[in-house]
Amino acid sequence: MRWLLTPAVLVVAVFAAALSALLRYSVLEFVPGSLVTGGLTVANFTGIMSRQYLGAVWDTVLLSAATTALTLVASYPVAYVLARTPSARVRSALLVLTLAPFFTGAIVRTYAWVLVLGNTVVTWPIPMLFTPRGVLVGLVHFSMPTMILLLAAAISHVDPVYERAAASLGASPARVFRRVTLPLSMPGVVSGSVIVFAWTLSAFATPELLGGGRVKMIANVVRDLALDSFNWPGGAAFAVMALVVTLGLLAGVGRLTAIADRGP
Amino acid sequence: MLARLVVASLLALCLPVATAHAQSSLVVSVWGGNWKDTVERVIGKAFTAKTGTPVEFEVGGTIDRLAKARVAKGSPLVDITFTTSHVGRLYISDGLFAPLDMAKLPNAKEAAREAVRSEYQVGGWSYVYTIVYRPDLVKEEITKWSDLWKPSLKGKIAMPDFDPSHIITIAALMEGGNEATWQKGQERLKALKPSIVAFYSTDAQSQDLMKTGQAPVQVMLSVNAYHLQEQGIAVKLVQPKDYPGVVGIDCMSVMAGTTKADAAYQFINLALSKEIQTELAKALKAGPVNGGATVPAAFHGQPGIFLTPAEWKERAYIVNDEVRAKNLPAWREWFTANIVK
Repeated sequence: MRWLLTPAVLVVAVFAAALSALLRYSVLEFVPGSLVTGGLTVANFTGIMSRQYLGAVWDTVLLSAATTALTLVASYPVAYVLARTPSARVRSALLVLTLAPFFTGAIVRTYAWVLVLGNTVVTWPIPMLFTPRGVLVGLVHFSMPTMILLLAAAISHVDPVYERAAASLGASPARVFRRVTLPLSMPGVVSGSVIVFAWTLSAFATPELLGGGRVKMIANVVRDLALDSFNWPGGAAFAVMALVVTLGLLAGVGRLTAIADRGP
Repeated sequence: MLARLVVASLLALCLPVATAHAQSSLVVSVWGGNWKDTVERVIGKAFTAKTGTPVEFEVGGTIDRLAKARVAKGSPLVDITFTTSHVGRLYISDGLFAPLDMAKLPNAKEAAREAVRSEYQVGGWSYVYTIVYRPDLVKEEITKWSDLWKPSLKGKIAMPDFDPSHIITIAALMEGGNEATWQKGQERLKALKPSIVAFYSTDAQSQDLMKTGQAPVQVMLSVNAYHLQEQGIAVKLVQPKDYPGVVGIDCMSVMAGTTKADAAYQFINLALSKEIQTELAKALKAGPVNGGATVPAAFHGQPGIFLTPAEWKERAYIVNDEVRAKNLPAWREWFTANIVK
């Protein structure tokens, strides 16, 4: 029966090989104008400890946190209606609208935002395209369908009896939501937030197209270093640093979630 | 060690299929889209008709193809590579190109001196990075590089962020320097910052920015500007009066270790012939490297089209490939820190 593990072992081996290649490149000396690398060095890591590169990491973390918060706020009402509406027609319409973005590619959706944010369809009072605001809009839109589906699944598991009981005891709708619905739907809130935060950390196409080169997230910087500057060791070092930061952040989020699950 | 083992295993699985497929064909590595279509239609078909050897293509981005070539070093999966002259330096640094035997390329004698980029690379066509703008959105006429610094163009300009070598070189030239002493142009470039509304990473982005009017003035590839004109977008290409446009030459090279070197030389030699150069220039709206090529009258004297040694000398600035390949990482880092941000 051990042979059944073979595919899993192969997959792990490929990932381990890729990761070890990345680690190896990150400590090899970059020789400008050449593909041939020099000896072992830590210069790639000291080189990326500049304001320019650390700023991209900071911007990425901020944009990911803002995207997660805004996506959650924008998605919850839609998910609530999706889970609770008695009308099959409304549910179907909402489901179709939620799923529709999955049937168009991320690039197509982002190009649509280029037109919308670029004062060609709407005239914005403040610049939107090629700013962090514009990138944020694109990231939230990209993340909403997944968040809505995760929240709707969680809310549908909250028995409406609890909400009715709270209301019958005099709780206002806002209090019912704050004290009953929201706490009981926390598994969906947490899983949705972690997923959106994690994938926004690695966002590439949205900041590439909506950022106009001015908004750089981690993946864009890795690409710039490796593909535009031909600095593969530098790109590898930055990717390793980003990996460590991402794992650290996700571990922190996991720890907070575990503490929240245990309760006070 | 583990990485090499897995890569070698994967290649071992893939290579027999690729090898069997490509055994009788000449395999050419080139960019996708219009580049591949044109090379296939203009050179590939003529080559097959002449030699009976079919041509297959490996398409991809500049660096994707470089990475693949590196992995397959010694047993190349392709026989000929088209790439930009300065990226070719990276191939050369790793021994991926074979030195060219010019005796096997008689048509190269008719090629412009500037087209023979090194003992490994011969140009296929030329173009230029110059100022392109939409007269319907920019009322003031632009005639020279220094016009980019006019306050009236504030917030209207876009340029590539993946390769700022063109504008860095021009700024250096304006301050009495060149690409090797590029620091001389730094302050001038900083003064341009308020005028830049966007940076583009791909040709498609550049064209979209121009079409939508988001960036009606651009430092742009001449080939893309001609393409926009064909699509009915009224853009004007500037033949700058103060300093020349910055030339790019896409080159052909024979891969080191190819088993089809003779066919590769025949292909490149054919590509350098007057007839094929004429067709390439028409199809790509690029400059021929063979001065004997016949170019439509409307193209004479246009940016990126150089037909005589005098035109190459007067209207083309060619950045030293080696300096460019070596300095590009530093240029990008400085440009990102001081201009993009």
